[in-house]
Amino acid sequence: MTAPATRETLPQTRSLPLPGFIDGTLLTLLAGAVILWFAPVGMGRYGTYVLSLWLVTSIAVMGLNLTLGYAGLKSLAQAAFMGLGAYLTAILTTKYGVSWYVCFALSGLLTFAVGLVLGFPALRVKAHYLAFVTLAFSTLIWLIMRNEQWLTGGVFGISNINRPDFFGIKLFNALEFHRFVVVITFILAVVLWWMIRSPWGRAFTALRENPIRAASLGVDTRLYTLLAFAIGSAYAGFAGALYAPLVEFIDPSPFSLSQSFFLLLMVVAGGSGYLLGPFIGALLGVVLPEWLRFAGSLYLIIFAAIVMLLLIACPQGMSGLMERAYAKLTGKGAGR
Amino acid sequence: MTNKWIIAAALSAALGLPAVAQEKVKLINVVELSGAGATAGTNWKNGIDLAVADINAKGGIMGRQIEITHYDTQTNPGNTRAAVQRAIDEGTYAVLGPVFSGPIGASMQIAQRAEIAQIVGGEAAGLTRQGNNYIFRTSLSQAAAMPKIANYLKNTVKAGSVAVVWVNNDFGKGGRDAIIPELEKAGIKVAADVSTEQGQADFAADAIKVKNSNADAVFVYLNEEESARFLTAAKQQGVTKPMVGETTLLGAKVISLAGAAANGVKGHVGLSIDAPIPAFQEFGKKFQAKYNYASDHNGLKGYMAVYMVKWATEKQKKFDKKGVADTLRGATITPADEPGILMETTIEANGDLDRVSFLAEVIDGKQVINATLPKIKP
Repeated sequence: MTAPATRETLPQTRSLPLPGFIDGTLLTLLAGAVILWFAPVGMGRYGTYVLSLWLVTSIAVMGLNLTLGYAGLKSLAQAAFMGLGAYLTAILTTKYGVSWYVCFALSGLLTFAVGLVLGFPALRVKAHYLAFVTLAFSTLIWLIMRNEQWLTGGVFGISNINRPDFFGIKLFNALEFHRFVVVITFILAVVLWWMIRSPWGRAFTALRENPIRAASLGVDTRLYTLLAFAIGSAYAGFAGALYAPLVEFIDPSPFSLSQSFFLLLMVVAGGSGYLLGPFIGALLGVVLPEWLRFAGSLYLIIFAAIVMLLLIACPQGMSGLMERAYAKLTGKGAGR
Repeated sequence: MTNKWIIAAALSAALGLPAVAQEKVKLINVVELSGAGATAGTNWKNGIDLAVADINAKGGIMGRQIEITHYDTQTNPGNTRAAVQRAIDEGTYAVLGPVFSGPIGASMQIAQRAEIAQIVGGEAAGLTRQGNNYIFRTSLSQAAAMPKIANYLKNTVKAGSVAVVWVNNDFGKGGRDAIIPELEKAGIKVAADVSTEQGQADFAADAIKVKNSNADAVFVYLNEEESARFLTAAKQQGVTKPMVGETTLLGAKVISLAGAAANGVKGHVGLSIDAPIPAFQEFGKKFQAKYNYASDHNGLKGYMAVYMVKWATEKQKKFDKKGVADTLRGATITPADEPGILMETTIEANGDLDRVSFLAEVIDGKQVINATLPKIKP
């Protein structure tokens, strides 16, 4: 888990006798997927559900990591995008019997398109101003989800959302559905891994580090800003499309503004700009509070204290901490 | 330094281990202990703890002590689902909670699939209309309470027009959707339909809207803190028309938060520690002594939930999880059979309850019961 994501060209990964395109991050993803495929055996449905919830949240955080960690755009609408995907999937599958796979694709497309439209202001306004634009959007989407009862079920939500089939295999059971989530998360993570290594990814990073320089080097900053935002949003849409059948019930509360802040926290706590950061961040945000339940009524206070201490001790998040530890152990150049 | 870490790790591991539970009845309560539902959830939890202590002191259920665990839902459907799943995986005998209707909606299918009774504090009408045989209420549903309110507004308050103030969550919207047709049926005009937010702090604008509507009475259907804030704002804005509510508005929590602004509030009460039933008052005293504040209806609901499980187990004479639900369905529990149920309660086939309820008024910071309304199907 110590493999730094954006630093795939660090010397240590080159020293491994592997084909050129494979790096530590990809190997970690692959190993993680294999472990998670088998992990829930004997864990019970609760443990399996929490693992699935972690992965689904990770997908949304991955998207936000692209937007924030690579392209440097502060978005406060990730949960709203997730809501768009979840509601689209829930409405189409329960009311119109549309296949989940179609809904999954549509969720990605819709959020990509909305991301493009919403991303336009990002061309003129950046930093705090973009945050405000996305904040307004987040509130707007939440109000639609809550008030348009004829469409979204309003505050009563939508229940009995079916889980999809996989080539005739029913994914009704927690374990089967978890494995399905593992596969989809893996695919989406590998796509992002590829994207980050491609010239696109380098353009995204260039955009974050120094937009003027990036422009002077011929990077179409407008196009890449838009793309980063839209792809990041599409990941939230994909996460939403998985969230609805996982919980089998949705109402507006998991897609509120405070959840967008929580997703942002996961990006930062996991380590923004690291490909594996979202998994660690979502682990902190989703799984840690569940682990801490043994502490009874104090568990949320302990959780908050851990997160605060972590961010004070290491502003680069868990991934940054691990990278520093790795650099110290191997005596090699200390990351940033 | 290393030793300290080892000790800390061992301590935390020891805390995490469940107590050895031989010949115990494991009950898990999944409820809102943080987030928007924390007030209601904490009352519910305390009511449960009180009932468990009472039952255990008297020898438990059929000789077995109850072991109670509480899981917080953060008032979030996804977390509620996880917690209910955890409760079932850990072998809970029945699921107690949650209280808020949204989290109930997110988790009730899991208990249904596991064929385990889930005894909830929710009042939204829709919960018992989904053909789920394993869900049971601990209070009247909105569908049962609202006709009584409409009747009260027409015959006792003699209102020709009413302003309805509701909180836009599943509880408030469900109540609003249930009362408006009843008002229309009773020939009462809805002069204003005011939606407010959960967690809203400033109700001045809403109070002015209500005042300008010039309605003969105001029906207030908000959660506890919001009810108190609205009453305070209405007093400040000089709203003098009768404030009528359903259970929550006349609850102990609202009265203590709103202070003098709660005086004169009247309405229908499903459960109250001030009801003219000695068992309720005794519960109220025990609760006050243990927690140092007055219980609202949610405390009573939690207390009764545990006794519903106890009664069903003793009735079926065995510890059969599915049997709890089968026994409760369609049953009438009387205080003669089970004093802990506090009042005669009929459980309908869909999990709704039927029992007597009360008309009350707040006078000098105390809830005073004026009349007792009979069961719908006596």
